[in-house]
Amino acid sequence: MMSYLLRRLNLLVITAFIVTVASFALVYLFPGDPLINLTGIVPANSEAYAQLQQEYAFDKNLFMQYVHYIQEIYQGNWGLSISSHNSVLDEILLFLPATLELSVYALVLSTVIGIPLGFWAGLRYQRPVDYGILSASLLGYSLPVFWLGLILILFFSLNLGWLPMSGRISLLYDIPHYSGFILLDILHSGLAESQAAMQDAVNHLILPTLSITIVTSSIVIRITRRSVTEVMESDYIKAATARGLSRGQILWRHGLRNTLLPILPQLVLQFTALLTNAMIVEVIFSWPGIGNWLLQAIYQQDFPAIRGGMLAVSAVVIIFTLSMDVLLRLINPLKDRDVHGTI
Amino acid sequence: MFMARSKLYIEEHYPSPLKHTWNEFQKSHVSLTGLWLLCIFLVIVIFAPGLAPFDPNKQQVDILLLPPSWDSSGSIQYLFGTDSLGRDLLSRVIYGSRVTLGISILLVLISMLIGLTLGAFAGMGHGLRSSILNHFLDSIMVIPTLLIAIIIVAILGTGLWNCMLAITLALIPRFIHITRNMVRAECNKEYVTAARLDGAGRVRILFDSILPNMIENLVVQGTFALSAAILDISALGFLSLGASATTPELGSMLSDGMELAYVAPWSIALPGCAILLMLVAINLVGDGLRSSLRHRLQH
Amino acid sequence: MLLLDIKNLTVEIDTSTGWVKALDKVSLHLKKGEISALVGESGSGKSLIVRTIVGAIPDRWRITADRMTWKGQDLLSMSAQQRRKIIRNEMSVVFQNANHSLDPTASLGQQLRESVPANQLEEVSFWQRKALRTDIIVKYLHKVGIKDHQQCMRAYPHQVPDDICQKVMLAMALVSKPELLIADDPTMGMEITSKVQILRLLTKLNQTQNLSILFIGHDLSAIANMATHMTVLYSGQTVESGKIGWLHKRPLHPYTKALLDSAPSFRKDLAPKSTLSSLDGTIPTLQHLPIGCRLGPRCPRAQKECVKTPKMRHISSHFYSCHFPLNRGGK
Repeated sequence: MMSYLLRRLNLLVITAFIVTVASFALVYLFPGDPLINLTGIVPANSEAYAQLQQEYAFDKNLFMQYVHYIQEIYQGNWGLSISSHNSVLDEILLFLPATLELSVYALVLSTVIGIPLGFWAGLRYQRPVDYGILSASLLGYSLPVFWLGLILILFFSLNLGWLPMSGRISLLYDIPHYSGFILLDILHSGLAESQAAMQDAVNHLILPTLSITIVTSSIVIRITRRSVTEVMESDYIKAATARGLSRGQILWRHGLRNTLLPILPQLVLQFTALLTNAMIVEVIFSWPGIGNWLLQAIYQQDFPAIRGGMLAVSAVVIIFTLSMDVLLRLINPLKDRDVHGTI
Repeated sequence: MFMARSKLYIEEHYPSPLKHTWNEFQKSHVSLTGLWLLCIFLVIVIFAPGLAPFDPNKQQVDILLLPPSWDSSGSIQYLFGTDSLGRDLLSRVIYGSRVTLGISILLVLISMLIGLTLGAFAGMGHGLRSSILNHFLDSIMVIPTLLIAIIIVAILGTGLWNCMLAITLALIPRFIHITRNMVRAECNKEYVTAARLDGAGRVRILFDSILPNMIENLVVQGTFALSAAILDISALGFLSLGASATTPELGSMLSDGMELAYVAPWSIALPGCAILLMLVAINLVGDGLRSSLRHRLQH
Repeated sequence: MLLLDIKNLTVEIDTSTGWVKALDKVSLHLKKGEISALVGESGSGKSLIVRTIVGAIPDRWRITADRMTWKGQDLLSMSAQQRRKIIRNEMSVVFQNANHSLDPTASLGQQLRESVPANQLEEVSFWQRKALRTDIIVKYLHKVGIKDHQQCMRAYPHQVPDDICQKVMLAMALVSKPELLIADDPTMGMEITSKVQILRLLTKLNQTQNLSILFIGHDLSAIANMATHMTVLYSGQTVESGKIGWLHKRPLHPYTKALLDSAPSFRKDLAPKSTLSSLDGTIPTLQHLPIGCRLGPRCPRAQKECVKTPKMRHISSHFYSCHFPLNRGGK
């Protein structure tokens, strides 16, 4: 276990190193002056430029520049956005929670929908229910998320007028920023109209969450179904049947754990795809999240912001996957199997 | 006259692995339908100029936003109607499929070739170098391809060419990863050990023993990469990072139609349907291949 | 009364080339307190019979039988729940491949505890049940020859060697105090001392607790020592069955004779360095089963009539299915 944790830590350090090197390299790769790309400050004259150069160790070699860059990142100085002149980190901290909120709801919903449906299909392998669920999930898996979002808007917002088509909450409500998660913020605000605000926020959430959920849950269904069919064909399930256990007992005591353990890492990997989808969906629904913000930065060639956004998203992805990896390892009884399995 | 051979005793007959896979694949009607659909799309990709009734960029100011022919105010001449600039939508969808699918196939082939080469090196190699490469790949794999593509586009600037480059670069690590794992897995099997004991060199083992056993798996992975490539290229087009508005690309057609979605829903519904059908066809073929491969290995 | 009585059991399974009769009119019966052996080469359908008896086969396979009864109750027509109850309380199975038959994600202790039937726990109050369960399984673990029960119960299946898995499976089977134990090659691949220990345990249980055993295996000498009856299978057909002594002394079916001849320990008269006799050819694959008597193409005595499946005939309680049986010249 210890060696495993060390290996993961090693991976974390290496990954962090690669990502920071990449983001530092972007300073030079982006068109324009590297110093401006790094700081986002356009110096007025050559004196100011020289001072800036010194401040960011740009008069030294690349390695020193990188070390200095890491220090700046660590101290929270991620540069200024060229378009808005705000601190990039502050903006990210404002926009990232909105994306995370969307992703977390979609992730929870996809798991809650996908795993039971996958189980149902897997247990009814090659029967009508299975075919039904399988075809639906194939369709869902093939849907481009941006088109799905558009169609949902077209149908539920424009044609039926049931749900709002853009934004996070109606402009009527002024919710103070607290955690960045809108539902939590509303609860925390203690406003008089928080009930109505909650309703409104939920209405805004439905369509974006739904479009992400449809795509992700169909992948979850497919992964689960395959694992279930494999486990149900295994010898130990047959042996359990031969021991006279009921179907429910078999499923609950032996099926569930064996099915879920191998697929949990795959489900964790889906998070990255989900995050990308969330970032695209944000554009369609004008959701004030990191995806929308990043794209605006790209359109406006706001290089410090692009760099910061990329760093933030990668950090979220890496921290999430690695911590889930360790967590899954902790709950997995087969964790030292590899060590014993090979001779 | 030859008498038909009597078949009293069915001779033991084992089809070759490829044939066996095909037999298994054929059994599923759904997969076959997918294959047909894919073939139709391939025909469209190749013969787009002959199939499209109009020039996809010809603007006709007098017939802006004409509804599709099944609408009461539509015209049979413009089967799918026209868009906000009076361009025939059917021709645009046909050309769009050509651009989206054609480019995706090209990109997948290129990245597969590069990924295969590097992956084989990584898989056959040992020691520090391959370990560093593995760690590097593991960290790259964590970041979604589209995000990598977006970053690369941000560096290079928008445009279809940059977009293609970005997606290729984003797909390569995937193939390296897959190839490496497959080569690793095969290397541990006894038949490779047997070949090695026979004195076969590394190159020979790779080409004679390992590659033939990987080919089908690679095709399956290729179909998954193809659907990812289509999604990525149209997503970049949709986010106006890829193809410019004049190039008929399905994703950018969607973002064109977005402002007028309420007036002309068909202008987003039809290109989207084309992407959907493409992806369904590819995923059906991929799934069918995968399950027939699994069946073959089981029996 | 017969404990288990199977007559003309046919199981059809679907393969890539269509439906195949993996078992073709197999008959088998077992009296209370009897040890009966089921022998045959691998692939002859021994394990399939076991799985059919306990109902651990896919639903889509077709099962037909003239009779398949447990103490006079028809196993095929009863409800799934009833059947499960019988299987849970009255019979137990030890499968081949013990390490695949154990849930890899549950510790051996958990799985052992699970197999203690509730009726053995009724006399104590519920808070004592856990301790009682543990007591019971420890007792059985010792019986099957596992000394370090604590370590064994903590371990997961992949952490212990195969023979421990086999012993645990046997303990799990015995813990429910069954009337019939179906043991599918329980000593496969074990070292000789454990093997003797297990076989002795089974014989003892048979003598002291009147446990009936359906023993399936390859080791003819072990079977000859233990069992009273023997049924020989070939390619899913019953070839011959009867008291082991009779079969040994005067096999009627050519296959039985070939099988016995191939085991040197059965042939005291075998001259040193002489070749062991064996039948030509190999067992047919499932896809290419011959019609009629499935031994036909390999049988030294085969004649034209052998393309028809021979009927089961018998001399007192010695059953055989052959048109041209051996050793009948005198009668």
